Amino acid sequence: MSMIMGLINYNIEKYTPQQLVVIPLALLVISIILLSLNMVTTGMPVKPGIDFSGGTAVTLDTADTADQLRATFAAYPLTDVSEGVNNGKFLKFGAMDDAKFRSLTDLISQKYPDAKIDQIGETFGKTLQEQAVIAIIFSFIGMAIVIYLSFRTFVPATAVVVSAFADMVMTAATMNIIGIPLTLGTTAALLMLIGYSVDSDILLTNRVLKRQGKLVDKLKGAFDTGIIMTSTTFAAVTAMLIVSWIGSVQILIEISAVLLIGLVFDVLNTWLTNAALLKWYVQKEGGK
Amino acid sequence: MNSKEIMGIVSDWRVAILLILVVLSIIAIYPHFDEQGHPASNLQYGLDLQQGSWIQLEFNAEVVGFTTDKQTEEFVTDLSKWLDTEVSLVDATHVEIRKSYTKEALDPVFADAGGKITSYAPGVSKATAEDVKRILENKINQIGTKDAKVQTLTGMNNVARYVRVELAGVDMKQAQELVGKQGKFEIRVMTVGNSSEHVLFGDSITSVQMPSQSPPGSDKWGVSFTLSEAGATAFQDAAIKYGATKDPANHYLNMLLDNKTVYSAPLSDDLARQLNTVKTRQLYASTGTGKAGSTAATNLEIHLRAGALPVGVTIAGSGGVSAPLGERYKLMALLAGIFALITVGFVIYYRYREPGIVLPMVLINASEILILLGFISLIKFQMDLPTIAGLIAVLGTGIDQLVVITDEILHEGKVPSPGVYVKRLSRALSIIVTAAATVFIAMLPLALMDLSTLKGFAIITILGVLVGVIITRPAYGKVIMEILSK
Repeated sequence: MSMIMGLINYNIEKYTPQQLVVIPLALLVISIILLSLNMVTTGMPVKPGIDFSGGTAVTLDTADTADQLRATFAAYPLTDVSEGVNNGKFLKFGAMDDAKFRSLTDLISQKYPDAKIDQIGETFGKTLQEQAVIAIIFSFIGMAIVIYLSFRTFVPATAVVVSAFADMVMTAATMNIIGIPLTLGTTAALLMLIGYSVDSDILLTNRVLKRQGKLVDKLKGAFDTGIIMTSTTFAAVTAMLIVSWIGSVQILIEISAVLLIGLVFDVLNTWLTNAALLKWYVQKEGGK
Repeated sequence: MNSKEIMGIVSDWRVAILLILVVLSIIAIYPHFDEQGHPASNLQYGLDLQQGSWIQLEFNAEVVGFTTDKQTEEFVTDLSKWLDTEVSLVDATHVEIRKSYTKEALDPVFADAGGKITSYAPGVSKATAEDVKRILENKINQIGTKDAKVQTLTGMNNVARYVRVELAGVDMKQAQELVGKQGKFEIRVMTVGNSSEHVLFGDSITSVQMPSQSPPGSDKWGVSFTLSEAGATAFQDAAIKYGATKDPANHYLNMLLDNKTVYSAPLSDDLARQLNTVKTRQLYASTGTGKAGSTAATNLEIHLRAGALPVGVTIAGSGGVSAPLGERYKLMALLAGIFALITVGFVIYYRYREPGIVLPMVLINASEILILLGFISLIKFQMDLPTIAGLIAVLGTGIDQLVVITDEILHEGKVPSPGVYVKRLSRALSIIVTAAATVFIAMLPLALMDLSTLKGFAIITILGVLVGVIITRPAYGKVIMEILSK
């Protein structure tokens, strides 16, 4: 399915609601399976980054290769070296005691004085993780309450909440596949998705339920507006991704990548999942 | 558009408020060149956008709720003895234990002492946390860094588990040393003229109490502290040897921290008489009356501790950014913002192909960011990278909502009558308000929790939503109406 704005003619008239939800439903099931598998093997649905698992992350600019860096830090529990553009390097270390960590900071400040260091202890990471989980749950419940209060009809409100849920689950599964860890930054991005993914759903529901006219026209009108909304956010976030990529700003790269993934699934879930449920609801109500 | 029409738009109160806020924001941000000719502003940067470091310490202590049939004082004393550590009463049903124990380890001890645990939370009481905060601030002041922040993270149960120190312009090594460092404390006694003799060092002081009034309830402040057996002997010997017991007024006792005198006073007559015959471990240094006395007592308490914290801590997390990296992040953040605004402008232009619509949209969008930045400057909020991400997301969704308004008003026919316009605008606003409410609610948990750097991000996103709904969207509704009805 290609979604190039202005070029696509959104017309779901010839499809039944059941046909429309096939693709998103299949993706949702696959995502849930992926997350559950991860949950069983690692205890977390998404791989936690050092913010939650504890460890040390070092960002530095150097022409040294990954192998040279591994040799430099051979005495320390270096777990991962990844490379950005412009000589940007990201190093991850496992847990260390205070003395070891101090000697690591000494070494780094001596060899790479311009580095950025972030160290999170294991218990502190666990505290952060617990709080992050609570934040996500409360955010989602809060969002659902606002939606139910604002629409006051069960099926349309549920459609919005289900779409938002599917967005999050699919995004989380994709993070696992392409290896973006759950950090404070990506948690923020997921929370942002809860808020933003309902934007176009609310627009769609409002247009379909509150406007006069043929369903197919209302859906098309809503799509024309909605796809622009998503495109603008997509454009802003892409800009952020490109700049942060060039500048090796890890946290912004992660946040923007998660937002972009989420926005793609948002298009899918709004215009297939949510639209299908709404179509089914309107047809059922109209048939009475 | 002629000048009369422009005046018509500007004098609309919604547009007028927007313009006034933009001007105020620019004043608040105050972009200027500093003495060296570098661009500068009132914006404050967090630790990932400027050189600095942070250390988060975890308290090795816990606050435990209890019930007991025994006398509370007796119970607490017993606990302290059994656990061989300082145990103090927080309130009638909670004690603070200044050593790390799991709940499982404490259960039998409480049972043996004749009580039962009703709650368990790692951390210290608010009062102890404030104490720690004061001591750390005092240490930081000694190195004179211009921009330091000490923050205790207190949970909803009033138990503080962490304290976070942020130091701008200080590298990680320095910060680690600073937080770990203890001063050299010494008591000396005046002999003849300006000479003095050593009495004891800080290691002879076994505990220091919080400032108190003596007699209790009076306005006379001071600090009690306890000496070790050896320290008490040394104190008595020196006082007798150098004549402080016979002639207190001419043989002041001086307290020095890192060789600087921080307290100087004679022995009280009572104490002088007593020291002639018996040594004492419990001493009380009075600091005067009223507010000044109380402040002096607080400082003396810190000095007596010589920078040692009243409770053990471990480093829970730390980090630091170098000056060049901070500068680069700042530049990247600025570029990302500008680049985002431009690409958003292109997308909007692609859709509407009408400069008369696109220009106001982009300008309103930019003004929203400007107002947010103005507000950030005003409240001296420290911007960090997640905040920047929040601002860019506000940019992206801000324009979304302008699209909703435009499309709603443009729906079926370009020139709406005022009545239809109001109806369509209110329909658009109802969509926007619902969307804004969900973002607000979704971000609220983060804004209320102490999830490290994400608090700032959440607050900025919420502020962005509020500025949008209350100020910029209504103004845009008015502007677009004027433009479309031409």
